[in-house]
Amino acid sequence: MKNIILSAIAMSFVLISCKQKNKQEETVNSAPNETEATAVKVNPTSFSIKEIVTNYLSLKNALTKDDSNATADAGKALVETLGKIDMKKLSGEQMKTYMDIADDVKEHAEHIGDNAGNIAHQREHFVLMSKDINDLIKTFGTEQKLYQDFCPMADEGKGAIWISELKDIKNPYFGSEMLTCGSVRKEF
Amino acid sequence: MQLYQPARNLGYGQDITANFTKVYNVPKNVKNILRTSCYDCHSNYTNYPWYSNIQPARFLMESHIKEGKENLNFNEWGNYSSRKQKNKLDRIVKEIKSNEMPLASYTLIHKNAILSSSQKQEVMNWIEKTSDSLSSKY
Repeated sequence: MKNIILSAIAMSFVLISCKQKNKQEETVNSAPNETEATAVKVNPTSFSIKEIVTNYLSLKNALTKDDSNATADAGKALVETLGKIDMKKLSGEQMKTYMDIADDVKEHAEHIGDNAGNIAHQREHFVLMSKDINDLIKTFGTEQKLYQDFCPMADEGKGAIWISELKDIKNPYFGSEMLTCGSVRKEF
Repeated sequence: MQLYQPARNLGYGQDITANFTKVYNVPKNVKNILRTSCYDCHSNYTNYPWYSNIQPARFLMESHIKEGKENLNFNEWGNYSSRKQKNKLDRIVKEIKSNEMPLASYTLIHKNAILSSSQKQEVMNWIEKTSDSLSSKY
């Protein structure tokens, strides 16, 4: 009995010290991200979702290359960007729409960022994130030429869209397995 | 160490209008399954086992519950935007289908939380039906 109690106590110390170590690593890791984030400029005169779209596109491109780590990094960058968007230029109604969508994008971006090494899970979240980005573009417009592509086989055969800056199909749901599967459905 | 007993997840004086079961008309069988297999970590009411009084069990438990509630809280459902509700329904089905949830470390001890394939089917069928009725509203 004594042994069990002692080992339980020892165990709890180990767990706590692990936790603290993680925290330290986190603070170290967050430093370079901050410098990166300052490079993201939000246009002060008008509201724009350009940075969000840019981050989304780099995430999408990492998926087309089956690169789970780069996808996770892009997810983290997107979370950073979302935190920096200035909503002051939005009217009440617009702000509500934006916040609903952005809140959802953030959640998916966080999951994608946390799941380096599990590209299947990242792609599941990408299905929903792409719908969100599509709605953001529909609501707030884009200066950049963008395409809404569709892959009928993605999301377990239910089909899913993604947004691309390229006219040619490069499928983020299957990557090298079926890179050219899909079609352009819409142009923005 | 044993004296460290963080506040229990027992949501006294909660606003119940945001509950999942208030937002939807959830059939009894589905409600029971959710309550037995999900609510310990995904609601404001945890059914604590006896060893929750012992550290480090309690410590691990509370961190699981915190994370679980951040991702999905059935008691906060009505406060989610309709977009989020739709996505959460989608995610619940995927988690159940891929056997990611309930967590293996949880069902190891809570044997009654293990979902049989017919239970899984019941929940997934109901959620998919609900989700489809929502998408037509969009």
